[in-house]
Amino acid sequence: MSHAKEAELFNKDEAKVNWHDQALWFVRNKRDKAAHTVKGWEDLRNLASAIKANVLSNLDDYLVQFEENAQKNGIQVHWAGDAEAHNKIVHDILLQNNVKKVVKSKSMLTEECHLNPYLEAHGIEVIDTDLGERIVQLAKEPPSHIVLPAIHKTKEEVDALFQKHLGTVPSHGDPRYLTNEARKHLRDKFLKADAAITGVNFAVAETGGIVVCTNEGNADMGVHLAKVHIACMGIEKIIPEEKHLGVFLRLLARSATGQPITTYSSHFNKPVQGKEMHIVIVDNGRSEQLSREAFRSSLHCIRCGACMNTCPIYRRSGGHSYKATIPGPIGSILSPGMDLKKHSSLPFASTLCGSCSDVCPVKINIHEQLYQWRQIITKNVKQPVVKRSILKMAGIVLANSKLYGFLGRSSRFMLKHLPKSIVNSKINTWGKARDLPKVENDNFEDWYKKRKS
Amino acid sequence: MSRASILNAIKKNKPESVPLPQIDLSLFHEDIDLVDIFYKNLESVGGRIVSLNTIEDLDAEIKKRYPNAKSIVSCSNTSQLATISISNETEPHSLESIDLAIIDAQFGVAENGAVWISENDFIVRALPFIANDLVLILSKNDICLHMHEAYNLISKRERTFGVFLSGPSKTADIEQCLVIGAQGAMSLTVFIF
Repeated sequence: MSHAKEAELFNKDEAKVNWHDQALWFVRNKRDKAAHTVKGWEDLRNLASAIKANVLSNLDDYLVQFEENAQKNGIQVHWAGDAEAHNKIVHDILLQNNVKKVVKSKSMLTEECHLNPYLEAHGIEVIDTDLGERIVQLAKEPPSHIVLPAIHKTKEEVDALFQKHLGTVPSHGDPRYLTNEARKHLRDKFLKADAAITGVNFAVAETGGIVVCTNEGNADMGVHLAKVHIACMGIEKIIPEEKHLGVFLRLLARSATGQPITTYSSHFNKPVQGKEMHIVIVDNGRSEQLSREAFRSSLHCIRCGACMNTCPIYRRSGGHSYKATIPGPIGSILSPGMDLKKHSSLPFASTLCGSCSDVCPVKINIHEQLYQWRQIITKNVKQPVVKRSILKMAGIVLANSKLYGFLGRSSRFMLKHLPKSIVNSKINTWGKARDLPKVENDNFEDWYKKRKS
Repeated sequence: MSRASILNAIKKNKPESVPLPQIDLSLFHEDIDLVDIFYKNLESVGGRIVSLNTIEDLDAEIKKRYPNAKSIVSCSNTSQLATISISNETEPHSLESIDLAIIDAQFGVAENGAVWISENDFIVRALPFIANDLVLILSKNDICLHMHEAYNLISKRERTFGVFLSGPSKTADIEQCLVIGAQGAMSLTVFIF
């Protein structure tokens, strides 16, 4: 189903859409406030973008340097070409350590690779430990936002889920009570887990260490209790030197939620004696995206979600309408590179207003890339008949001033005198939810000529 | 696709070399009251601050703030409140019911209210996360302006495990309502002397 069709489903509950829209706009405002307090914010964005451009142009060297330094510190490094290889590597590590129970902190990469169902099919229990991720896991849904995974759920829905799965008492969706119940539930899981899987926010080539950022402390609770830590990262997570973390950590949380920094920014350089630490480096289409000149800067992304919070389409269509691991504007320029046909409607889910590019902490020209994907998609993927024929007709009319004038006059006449049921008929999608503006007698040209005489 | 084929694909597809930019610190310099800004930012992230007249008041002030704490681990020489001692042999699961952990912070960061602590400061990695409440001890003279200075301060450390900690654990995953006390510490108080 196309994004537009999915969005229509989301829009059936108008009150919920309005709430979703406002909640995300509120986060966007917090981002603005946080950004405005930082002296040199724009310089930080420029630096971050330039560092990432340098990373992409030396990515192979940095990855090798990172691997060497990580290995020196006793970390085992693995390489996976695609999702399947990634899942197999993770499963093999778990098998070797006789792991039955895994706790996982947020990692969009493992979502992308569908790691959970893979491990579950092999009889391993996987518990997502970020509260939002746990909520959507219990609901058997994918996250709808990369930073706020359960933003599409009301507190009453969470209440019902927890009653069913955690045995809580009805609380009318009291967030404090529900969070505390989740804390107890997850504590038990942390204490019993054999292995912890985390994502990676940044991997430092110079030191071979990784940084993981959370607000809940769930990554650390998992890692420091379990005997095995597996960290999964895309190849683009590399940064050259540790001091560059200063740039990225100043940008990340402010862009994401308006916090000055995440509660926990944990620096893992060496496993504790007697424990194992593994890093799985995953390509899964990224090196191919690197080859596309117009789209390679999409690999700068640090997964803050600012482009989603600001996007008028995302806010009113919800993350699930994108049917992609990463929704929103950034997802709409990443996903077509993975599967052009499946994701062909996503670059059209935009007004091209450019707000995403304005808030992006690493200055990805998201709206320009959306436009460029459209050019490729219309050439390679068959477009709906209405869209094709209307644009073709528009092309003919706009190229002929007499025809344009005639059709303008006749449509003004018709719009004025035809009944609303015909004006707002099925073919006029604008008329689905609103009326057309009042029709004037003249067009601009007529009005201008009269005015002169 | 193995290591070699991933690296080959990158080599083939990467753009021409782009230089690595230098970080010009003068762009980010501000003459501000570091202690004052640190206070404000720590409060904004849900942390609490107690300003001590003298470091000798520490234990009395901790007791005042955490009167019900029974199982206490102290990794600081300045506090004598410990009821449980730990070593690097301590099994982290055994810390499950620790009420309070007391840890010396190496330094604070004014721009975000974070403190830096590393493995040597808390002996068992799980401690600052599994303890119910957290007390950090920080000298007024050890507050830096921003994260660039912070990374300069830790550039020569022995790299094992370390964390920038900014306030208590928190979540807003249920309808964007901020709840303090998610999976990590329920409260965090910085005692400044």
